[in-house]
Amino acid sequence: MCALPIHLWTFFLGLRDVDWITARTNFGDALGVIGYGLLFAFIESCAVFFVAALLGCLISKKWGEKKRITLLSTLIIILSLWSIFNQVYFLRGAAPLPQVVEFFVDIKRPLVALYATALFFVGFSFLIPTYFTLRSSKTEHALQSGFERLSTLMTMYLFIDAIALIVVIIRNL
Amino acid sequence: MAGLASLGILLPPGVKSLGTSLNKGSVKKNVLVIVFDAFSAYHISLYGYGRETTPNLRRLAKRATVFHNHFSGGNFTTPGTASLLTGTLPWTHRAIRLGGTVKPGMENKSIFHAFDDYHRFSYSHNTLVNTLFNQFAANIDEYIPRQSLFLLDDGLIRTLFQNDEDAASVAWSQAVKKTEGFSYSLFLADLYQKYRDSKVADVATSYPYGLPNINTDNYYLLDQGIDYFRGSMADLPRPFFGYLHFLPPHYPYKPRKEFTGTFTKDSFKPLVKPDDVFSSQKAPGFLATSQSYYDEFILNVDHEFGRLFEALESSGILEDTWVVFTSDHGELFERGIWMHSTPALYQPIIRVPLMVFEPGVSTGREIYDHTSAIDLMPTLLHITGHPIPDWAEGAVLPPYADIHNPNEQDRIFVVQAKFNEPTHPLTEVTVAHVRNNYKLIYYLGYNEINEQEKVQLFDIHADPEELNELTQNKPETTSELLQIVKKKLEEVNRPYYK
Repeated sequence: MCALPIHLWTFFLGLRDVDWITARTNFGDALGVIGYGLLFAFIESCAVFFVAALLGCLISKKWGEKKRITLLSTLIIILSLWSIFNQVYFLRGAAPLPQVVEFFVDIKRPLVALYATALFFVGFSFLIPTYFTLRSSKTEHALQSGFERLSTLMTMYLFIDAIALIVVIIRNL
Repeated sequence: MAGLASLGILLPPGVKSLGTSLNKGSVKKNVLVIVFDAFSAYHISLYGYGRETTPNLRRLAKRATVFHNHFSGGNFTTPGTASLLTGTLPWTHRAIRLGGTVKPGMENKSIFHAFDDYHRFSYSHNTLVNTLFNQFAANIDEYIPRQSLFLLDDGLIRTLFQNDEDAASVAWSQAVKKTEGFSYSLFLADLYQKYRDSKVADVATSYPYGLPNINTDNYYLLDQGIDYFRGSMADLPRPFFGYLHFLPPHYPYKPRKEFTGTFTKDSFKPLVKPDDVFSSQKAPGFLATSQSYYDEFILNVDHEFGRLFEALESSGILEDTWVVFTSDHGELFERGIWMHSTPALYQPIIRVPLMVFEPGVSTGREIYDHTSAIDLMPTLLHITGHPIPDWAEGAVLPPYADIHNPNEQDRIFVVQAKFNEPTHPLTEVTVAHVRNNYKLIYYLGYNEINEQEKVQLFDIHADPEELNELTQNKPETTSELLQIVKKKLEEVNRPYYK
């Protein structure tokens, strides 16, 4: 599951860059940049998997292997979604609502309030799915089956990563 | 007459005998060209700017030949630098796009090739210049890697992918550097940011506006670069030809602590001009603030150039070296336009400084003739006793022109052709042409211009701020200059029509 958001995001931004790279040099270079991007995405996926595997060792063994994998996968997806949310904010050149800005400006310690609010939302977004994964077997099964289906995409990432690797090797010959 | 002049006779009063400083028949003099990127003459106090941005240049000008009306070849690094290095205009060398290269066949038509009996070395902070250096690399004896003067660099990426350095670096940059707040990477980018911040934390405190950088995290310090050349120049094999291209005062404007705040709260008020058709709608307040930062960065550059000059002097290098101070293009903070990537070729973008320090000469002179970046190469070749190649389009600069100058007439053109294919005729282009007191700007093929073409005429001597457009008042001058530009465009486009 580590690979899904990382690869999708790289692919999305890579395609977005094709135009300006082609305009600056040529289409081959644009493909090359996507190739390198996917290679870096593969490395990042491995790193995230490694960290997740280490975290897995910290989770109580009283939960079964499948439950632990589901829990960690859910947390990684949520973390990825927050990271994407954070980047989309800049990508779209968004600005916070004036009412929100005014609200924080009026508070005595706006920075503390801002961090506390962010922590509340982020924490909540982690706690709720964790709770339901551990407590509700229905949720656990639904998530498990979803992840299993998505995991079949893994072969596609590997295929795409292999192509990216070939592109990178050819360009470096 | 020309022969007498070359012997030092019939020279204007105050002009030292050229024969003593020229290389002909004497020991070959070194040449050092120092380029500061995006350095507009408009912002230099030596040239009359309202802020004291260049106290060192003012001091050093007393011993230099100062050119007051010098024009770049293009409006950004690629065409501007290619013009400096090849002595040809952008419509000839065709390095017209961002990151572009000179056309095939011109690899051996550069200033490096022309100085083939010299030890040639080069350095640039700017990757666009390095792209050009790569093309001329066969004629550069010592090509100093740009990253060698960076605080941080992507050395590992370049080492791993050395045959495809450009694409790998761009991909790495897109993957882990959140230039605009986003990156391909979801997790590693933030860790990488923490890592690089920790690496430069000790020097970052000296730069209140942030560390000078290029491509996000290629942090560099101008003083470090200057120190490097202060220390290494004396050991170079002689004679040498050096081309140094430093990024400041190019954006991002990040001067050192002692220069920040100098102009941000002064009483200087930039002239507010009406928005141009190519305006990117930058508010006057934003432009004024940016201009202050830029001016402070110039002050920083001026200080560093002063330090480099002192080192050249104290080491005795100045005694046998021609030193040239110039830029590849300027910068604009008016008419709703910021920086230089614009089709609008107003004076601040295309008028650049040029100062020539002659070996062993301590008296100065001022030249008000119109001169071009393409003149530099033939001039340096001429004064060092080299033949001028027939492909050079410039002329030998006025005080050194003791020979017949076949290209002297109608050579001051500045060309903006960023949106064209280098191998196609130029159909979306701006050409500025300067003749006598007048500058004509011809715009062709832009969507912003309904009629497909537009012409502006300014008297740049009576109206240096270019506030009074004269095409209606001076139809004959307009027509005459326009004919020259159109004829020239037709001529340069001809080989590219299929």
